[in-house]
Amino acid sequence: MIEVEDLVYEYPTARALKGVSLKVADQTITALVGPNGAGKTTLLRCLAALEDPYSGKVVIDGMDTTHSPREIHARMGYLPDFYGLYDDLTVRRCLTYAARSHSITAGATPKAVAKAAQRVGLSDRIDSKAGELSRGLRQRLAIGQAIVHEPKLLLLDEPAAGLDPQARRDLSALLIALRDGGMTLVVSSHILAELEDYCTEMIIIENGLIAGGKAIKVRDDDRPRYMVALAAPRADLKDFLVAHGADVSEADENHAVIVFTRNQTARAKLVRDLVMAGFEVASFGESSKALEQTYFAQVGHKA
Amino acid sequence: MNPEFLRNVWLEMTTRRVLLMVGLLGLTFAAAALANGDWGPASVATWLYYIIVVILGSRSAALSVVGEIGARTWDSQRLSSLGAGEMMWGKLFGATIYNWFGGAICLAVLLTHEAITAGAGTAALDLLYYVGIGVISQAAALLASLIAIGRGQGHSRLEVFAYQLVGLVAGVAVWWVWDEVKSHTVDTIVWWGHPLDAAIFLLASLVIFSVWTLVACFREMRLELKMRNGPLVWLAFLVFIGFYVAGFDAWLSQELKSWDPGALRLLLAGTAYGILTYIMVLLEPKDRVHYRWMQGQIRQGHVANALNGTQAWMMGYAATFLAGIVLFFWLLHDVSAALVGQPLVLAALGFLTRDVSLFVLMQTLPGRRRGDFGALAILFALYVLIPWILASLNANALMFLFFPQLPSPTFVGAIAAWVQGIAVAGLTLTRLALTEKGQPVPA
Repeated sequence: MIEVEDLVYEYPTARALKGVSLKVADQTITALVGPNGAGKTTLLRCLAALEDPYSGKVVIDGMDTTHSPREIHARMGYLPDFYGLYDDLTVRRCLTYAARSHSITAGATPKAVAKAAQRVGLSDRIDSKAGELSRGLRQRLAIGQAIVHEPKLLLLDEPAAGLDPQARRDLSALLIALRDGGMTLVVSSHILAELEDYCTEMIIIENGLIAGGKAIKVRDDDRPRYMVALAAPRADLKDFLVAHGADVSEADENHAVIVFTRNQTARAKLVRDLVMAGFEVASFGESSKALEQTYFAQVGHKA
Repeated sequence: MNPEFLRNVWLEMTTRRVLLMVGLLGLTFAAAALANGDWGPASVATWLYYIIVVILGSRSAALSVVGEIGARTWDSQRLSSLGAGEMMWGKLFGATIYNWFGGAICLAVLLTHEAITAGAGTAALDLLYYVGIGVISQAAALLASLIAIGRGQGHSRLEVFAYQLVGLVAGVAVWWVWDEVKSHTVDTIVWWGHPLDAAIFLLASLVIFSVWTLVACFREMRLELKMRNGPLVWLAFLVFIGFYVAGFDAWLSQELKSWDPGALRLLLAGTAYGILTYIMVLLEPKDRVHYRWMQGQIRQGHVANALNGTQAWMMGYAATFLAGIVLFFWLLHDVSAALVGQPLVLAALGFLTRDVSLFVLMQTLPGRRRGDFGALAILFALYVLIPWILASLNANALMFLFFPQLPSPTFVGAIAAWVQGIAVAGLTLTRLALTEKGQPVPA
């Protein structure tokens, strides 16, 4: 769906993106994470064909953003980090305008509006004015406007900012439903814990570059992440795990985060081998903070 | 229906606002009719039309896009499937629909009066004028706001007022033309040697420039929607404006008696191009990233790409340069004209080179958001303050350093201008370059 090749973007006084290359597959949810000022929003705006690259190219659904920006806009939904709504219009009219301005015919618009409202859970507020909605409901309306034309690609910049826990959970469920419905999503966020709920891949942007040079698989049902914790430190923990077929994401003398097969027999053998080799295994379990650990392993900071 | 227009109708034409407009205007006209004074309903309607459609309508048009940026809704509009034309017409007539509603009520009153007192034909012509002045002033305000958005300017009240002011100036120009047409102050205008009916000429000029204003709005909207414009339309405008202005050579024939009409026409066209270059270099965004990109494209041999990225001021500069060079050689026909004209033409081109480079240079310095103001301040010092001081010190011999003049020997003036031009242009090109670390050259 997305192919970015050696993308360079410059502001007058700084180079924000310094040769970013990435690929995003169809029907995935990719997290775009990184420190403030790393270039996440700039990259999203380049993907949205709202900014022209200084060099390199961005191809969305087979079209170059420089040559076919309007065609790409027609196939895309974008929710910026700071967005506005027409507060004096009802939800129905907001969605109707979004549908009509995305070339949905007048005849097909009511159906598209009803579907979008239903998907974002606003069917019961369809005649409320946007200005009367809570923050969470406004967020849903904004997403509804972005998806009313059934885009192939949805870009969301900090969609969970300012939402309460329930609204965040609802947002996660909505994004998963959209992916399952056939959309490809790219989500920029600071809140790693919730990205883990719905993201399949993670791209870490740091200082205008992709940390590690490529997207990182966040969830792999066949090879999940496990945390190994030791009661007594051992300097050879990492080497031992590698020698026994584990992909080590992060390790020190006391613990390691590994990617390993879900197969129970293989896991039991690994634990047995660790114990037999004299490692005092305090715990071995599926990691619940895989995304966060991977992030800090890549950017080289500790939480 | 145009979705953008429809959305504006939803927002602007609420029942409460419609009733308010109808009620207020109805009461005003009733008061004017009952007062039986000098101000009848038709006079009041005329002035109210100007206030509602021209003055307030220009503000509505100026806010049509700027307001969306302020409300953070512009990006989602830019990502819609609406074409530049749909967006422009939707904004131009949608954002001002409430003004047009009030204006229509005023027009009904004043045109009814006009039809009764002067006949239906006069009323029909007046209708064209009133609609025209409204559309043109609003389009000019919208154009000013779009140009400002392209420059990355904000949306403060003062800035919106400036865009509105552009609309008002355009409205005054239309009013002046209409007044000239109705009062017959000037009967004929000589253009390209032909005496033409002044009323027809002025009205035709008004229509043509109005069309160009709308074309400019359309093109600015295209840029906002990330579409590429290419140079052809601006080149067509340069050809048009050169042809249009060159036709007024009769106006200069008394001042420059030794110059033949061809030289005068080249002078007029070149001057028009020069003025356009100054206007456009002031108005257009001077984005050094874009200039670096153009340099890169040229270095890689992608000249067509670079030409597609050419800005209007660059084409204006090239047209001025071309007209100046042609004029330089044209003057060879007449020795006396050449002695005076050629050094002045070369000096003018040198100063133009310096000045446009200065505008770009100031954008590369720290605090560049005020770069245009800095460039204007320097030019004010160079063209006004320093010559004023020199004149006070009886040092007029040094004026050639600041104006196209004829010192002795005459070509020293041109050399001085070009030394300045090349120096500033060279410095500007250096500042546009990047260091190897990917950062701009430090100040």
